[in-house]
Amino acid sequence: MMSENVLRAARYPFLPETREFISRNIDLSLESLEKTGSEAALKRAVERVKNALIFKEVKVTALDELNYVREMLSFPIAIILVSMIMNEYVRRMYALGESRGAYRRMLNESDETLLYIGEKMGVGGVLDDENTIRVKIPTYLKLAYSFHAPHWKLVNRAVNNGYVSMGKTEYARLIQVEVNNYVYEKTLEPVPAGAVPDSFRRAADEIVGVWSRLETGKASRVPLREREDTPPCIGRIIRRMENGENASHFERLVVATFMIARSRNIDEIIEFFSKQPDYKYSVTKYQVEHLAGIRGGGKKYSVPSCRTMLTNGLCYPDEYCKGIKHPLRYGEKNVADEPRVP
Amino acid sequence: MLQTSLEFLKREFFKYYYENISRLVPPEPIRSREFGFFLEKGKGMFRHKCFNSLRDFHEFILNEIPLDIYVSAANYEDPCNRDMSEKKLVNAELFFDIDAESVAAVSEEESAWICQKCNQYGIGLRDGCPSCGAPTELVRLVSEKQLNVALRETEKLIHVLREDFGIAPENMRVFYSGNRGYHVHVNQEDFLNVTGEGRREIIDYLLIQGLDEKELLNFLKRGVSIGGVSLKGVKRRVYMRVLEKAGSVEKLKTSKRETVLKMLEGIVEELKVRIDPVVTIDMHRLMRMPESINSSSGMVKRRIRLEDLPSFKPLEEAIAFGDEETCLKVKIAPRFRLGGRTFGPFKDEEVELPAYAAVYIVCKGLGEYAGR
Ligand code: SF4
Ligand SMILES: [Zn+2]
Repeated sequence: MMSENVLRAARYPFLPETREFISRNIDLSLESLEKTGSEAALKRAVERVKNALIFKEVKVTALDELNYVREMLSFPIAIILVSMIMNEYVRRMYALGESRGAYRRMLNESDETLLYIGEKMGVGGVLDDENTIRVKIPTYLKLAYSFHAPHWKLVNRAVNNGYVSMGKTEYARLIQVEVNNYVYEKTLEPVPAGAVPDSFRRAADEIVGVWSRLETGKASRVPLREREDTPPCIGRIIRRMENGENASHFERLVVATFMIARSRNIDEIIEFFSKQPDYKYSVTKYQVEHLAGIRGGGKKYSVPSCRTMLTNGLCYPDEYCKGIKHPLRYGEKNVADEPRVP
Repeated sequence: MLQTSLEFLKREFFKYYYENISRLVPPEPIRSREFGFFLEKGKGMFRHKCFNSLRDFHEFILNEIPLDIYVSAANYEDPCNRDMSEKKLVNAELFFDIDAESVAAVSEEESAWICQKCNQYGIGLRDGCPSCGAPTELVRLVSEKQLNVALRETEKLIHVLREDFGIAPENMRVFYSGNRGYHVHVNQEDFLNVTGEGRREIIDYLLIQGLDEKELLNFLKRGVSIGGVSLKGVKRRVYMRVLEKAGSVEKLKTSKRETVLKMLEGIVEELKVRIDPVVTIDMHRLMRMPESINSSSGMVKRRIRLEDLPSFKPLEEAIAFGDEETCLKVKIAPRFRLGGRTFGPFKDEEVELPAYAAVYIVCKGLGEYAGR
């Protein structure tokens, strides 16, 4: 039996129906995974994680979909592998890769399928006419706050009677965030009890090997140390800037907004930027005041979210980053006010 | 404030709470809320308090007769934990504060200044003492005019919450704060879990901050009528108001871009709801307890039904005390209206006032109790 539904489950393995299919048909305990000739699935799982680390996107081809059992199985296995590696960066990168791949695929789906995925991922959504879907405001706020572009701001949206309307592409973006959250949370769960088969260990090592070739600075497991007030991503930029290295526009924005959020005064911040090779007092002053909301309409800029940092290649997490979505939340182990992903 | 005055206040407060204790019902569930109190003048807030039942809460109030009572907007797993993050926030109501002070200035005739250093005082707003130069303490009376402006803002807020945010009227409670402001509590299931970041977005929406003016400007300059744009939400509201104000789309087409932009900015100023952003963003905020006395004025934080909002008269409807004649030594007091009557102005005189007005003067720090 190979219906559309099975293909869909293979294409979006985070959907609950994939879990159902697996639990109905396959024994997912570690020992039996080892036995049931799941080598192919394990291989594909490694590929998923490598895809995420190398291309920042997990690709699913038509052929992968036809191999639907392997495809479905590879997803929970990939999660197990990522959990085993126990590194925050790998977790985050994998979640991003899965969600990006899913986003890309969703763009080609019919309204019906798109709404179906949205429904299952807890985004909800009502089709208003062919081109617009509306989402409840609280859901929108939960998912869209991590986007930086002004057009995502609620004030610029079509808000009416408790809903925000948007096109299909934007709707898919919201689902992407939820997929990202879901996958990330999954990788935080402990590895299922029982001895981890050797094949899994080898697979995890293979991933670590690839990754350390890619990201020399990140691939060392960060030892647990005393937590600092500044999250590692921002601390790293600050140190580089202190050494007089030229920071990108975005990095400067990150540092400036962070300092503003920590109530450092404008002069102190400008002073800090004075070490930059291309420093000009008036320009820096203008920019910092703009970010602080003193100029330009009074809009205060916020520190970019962890997502945005990650997509810009600036996330260097340590264990205190676990579970947080925003650098200002660094070290807050309990994130109880962040609603959990269903 | 003299000890006798404080005792007078406590006696009057006790009477109010004794008779009205059943009106003090904190939001449910009471076990998951944090409470805070000012128990004595000049002392810090006594907070992280929690209660297992409404009875315990009422008992505490009648025993302590607090000067001010607060309850958290949030529900916590462990509300009495002194460590904020250990309290474990579950969710929180949306809480809006419209401060009359920030929407309209209070007039000179409704204010007084006092110099604590050389004990001089007078009517008006003076920053420095005319005889010794020390910074003065400014006392602003509750101004009806100011409150009316704040009330219009409150109506704007309610309108946007209903129309745009889909908040059902039964999930919205509106209060006069008892002094110089209005509060709106929103207790709607799906909004309880909105995070601090999300609340910031709501605030930006209400304050119309970060609005993409370019898009609007382009439509306006091309002279597109409201039927021709598919705008919704606050953008639509702004757009319509600009068209209304300009009179005709033709006029906009021929105006300079800067002129139209100026106009647009003016409209944003007019349409924004002037709430205090910090209050709403901070989910750990304590809210003044509904129907409790506000010790800055001696009036109560009074619930106003939505349908009564347009005709609400704070200075009559939020009075907590009776009208037994009470003797007061008044330092200085501008003319003021309270409970439908007009009093003052007074300077250095002993006067007899009804209890509610006496409490008001004592709470404002303008006079001391002198017996009954
Ligand atoms: S705070 Fe966020 S962005 Fe920064 S290192 Fe940690 S996880 Fe990455
Ligand atoms: Zn003086």
